[in-house]
Amino acid sequence: MSLLQVDKLTMRFGGLVAVDAVTLEIPPGEIVSLIGPNGAGKTTVFNAITGIYEPSAGGVRFAGHETRSEFCGSVAVLLLLTGFLTAGALILLCNIESLWEVVITGNYQYRQVFQWKPANIAFTTYFSENSGTRLILPAVLGLFLGLAGAWAVWQRSRRAPEVAAHAGIARTFQNIRLFNQMTVLDNVLLGMDTRLQTRFWHAALRLPLFWRERREATSKAIEILRFVDLDREVNQLAENLSYGHQRRLEIARALAMQPKLILLDEPAAGLNPAESQALMELIRQIRERGITVLLIEHDMQVVMGISDRIAVLDYGEKIAEGTPAEVRANPAVIEAYLGKSDAST
Amino acid sequence: MKLRFHWAFLLVAALVPVVGLFVPAARSLGELLRPIFIMAILALGLNILTGFTGILNLGVAAFMALGAYAYAILTCDIYPFQFGFWPAVMLTVLVGLLAGLMLGLPTIRLRGDYLAIVTLGFGEIVQDSLKNMDVITKGTQGINPLPGPTFAGYMFRSETYAPWYYLFLGFLALVVLLNRNLQRSRVGRAWIAIREDELAASCMGVNPMKMKLLAFSLGAAQCSLAGALWASFLGSSGEPGNYDFQVSIIALCIVIVGGMGNIAGVLLGALVVVGCNSLVLETFTNFLKAHELISSTNVYTAPGNWKYMLFGLALILMMRFKPEGLLPSRQVKAELHPHEPPPS
Repeated sequence: MSLLQVDKLTMRFGGLVAVDAVTLEIPPGEIVSLIGPNGAGKTTVFNAITGIYEPSAGGVRFAGHETRSEFCGSVAVLLLLTGFLTAGALILLCNIESLWEVVITGNYQYRQVFQWKPANIAFTTYFSENSGTRLILPAVLGLFLGLAGAWAVWQRSRRAPEVAAHAGIARTFQNIRLFNQMTVLDNVLLGMDTRLQTRFWHAALRLPLFWRERREATSKAIEILRFVDLDREVNQLAENLSYGHQRRLEIARALAMQPKLILLDEPAAGLNPAESQALMELIRQIRERGITVLLIEHDMQVVMGISDRIAVLDYGEKIAEGTPAEVRANPAVIEAYLGKSDAST
Repeated sequence: MKLRFHWAFLLVAALVPVVGLFVPAARSLGELLRPIFIMAILALGLNILTGFTGILNLGVAAFMALGAYAYAILTCDIYPFQFGFWPAVMLTVLVGLLAGLMLGLPTIRLRGDYLAIVTLGFGEIVQDSLKNMDVITKGTQGINPLPGPTFAGYMFRSETYAPWYYLFLGFLALVVLLNRNLQRSRVGRAWIAIREDELAASCMGVNPMKMKLLAFSLGAAQCSLAGALWASFLGSSGEPGNYDFQVSIIALCIVIVGGMGNIAGVLLGALVVVGCNSLVLETFTNFLKAHELISSTNVYTAPGNWKYMLFGLALILMMRFKPEGLLPSRQVKAELHPHEPPPS
């Protein structure tokens, strides 16, 4: 079974069809490249896989599941809670002043004991009189508003990048998007965020779990930095790294997520030949760690050198797929890259 | 280990009343420091939002007002609740958390300027609501008198000085500790990552809505704590007009002048901005009046009345020459001066 299934994925932006019914199957443990001329829709496919875009048609299945959050009990509880909270707030908003007068002011004399019982009775009678406008209408309206609002927000956030990240898809970006003003170490630690168990209160009160996890996470982060050969730059700000190092740091940050699949968007762009060679070696090592790799790349030496399979996109359509040798010999691919040759045919 | 500025600040501040026993001048300084502590708590609340998470909030005064009124309603003896100081403060913080959550839930998906406008509107709405719900809030009179805090049987009176001083300093230290703990943890890292690049952060599995909501409610809780402390000090909730837009702007001023995203910077900012307002300008005005350099009846020539203009000027100058603030965090400094080599 394949790890990632992109099934007839279509992305439309207004009248423009950026990706047209592209189907991709990525088996686990392989290195697959996505190539094509500029503007062919490669990065758009990546964005759809990682949940940045909602597909116009078709779907993305990762490890057998849609990469979107499922409706479950805790979501239902959260929706209901928001509904009840809004209802309560609306009831209070509609009645607060008269309720206050009847219950609090009416039963309390300055520096006397508060009359709990009459206050309680006043509270009940207040809501049983005119209960339609005082209680039921705002309650129903609030419940409806809260539920509808929460439902809409939940629907829109179902297919979000963080959902794909939690499922186990990591990615790097074509134009490097590091957290420039954070240190190299912090960048990697942020990548580890999905794996951390520390909660807000552990951090606020510095509970033992916080210390233990910080120690473990830091040593793991340094191990990952050593893997990409950046362990000498641990405390540098990310933006002060050289371009090649920044590319490596992005990969390190993605690896820190301990993903099943890593998407690399032009990892060799702007690297010199020696750096490209090192990158190829790094990608092979990533695969050896059991991580499936899908990459977009223009550097044909890299693509042909490491890919198990290659898919070619042109104008949003998949025009070829196969082993490097097959793709290299495919006339449609040659045409897309070099144009049609009238003389030879 | 290097002594951090914020701990040094708190240590020195703790010594001021002791020195005040021998040097009378230190006492008046200490009296001045009390509102500074409160403003620092308020500004630290705003710092979580604006400094760490990068959300511009122009309505922190509203949370302060909610805190002050919640505390007043819970403690004042014209109402039957009459909680003691400590449970009332805890409940007030809870009210602040909830208020932040209620404002944040529907609006947190708005970006940048739009959210800033919402918070600005919220500030005005809260003020007007407090003014108009006079059955509960007593309109423009405010709720008073409030009993002073008690601590282990000791009753705080309004004329005493050192107990209040240490009470506020203690709360400030607590808030500083909490913020620092959060900043140097997974939570603070996620906040800063969202400020730097929200999309990249979410691709790493950080849920931006959740983290922003957390920042919103924590910031609001701290602001309402500042409100509760201020109300307990005044012995009154104050009138709604005390929590107007200017308070929000002064809080923002403190954060910007001191250094966004840096706890120590915010403390310094509070010292400079509030101190300048109530010490330097006042003294200067009194000095000029005493030497008959300005007329004591003409309000236009008194420097103290020019404070908002001076604040505005200071903000413009800061933005032009030192946009990262007096005591910037390393990160923000790098953000605003991208081409300079970092200090090694």
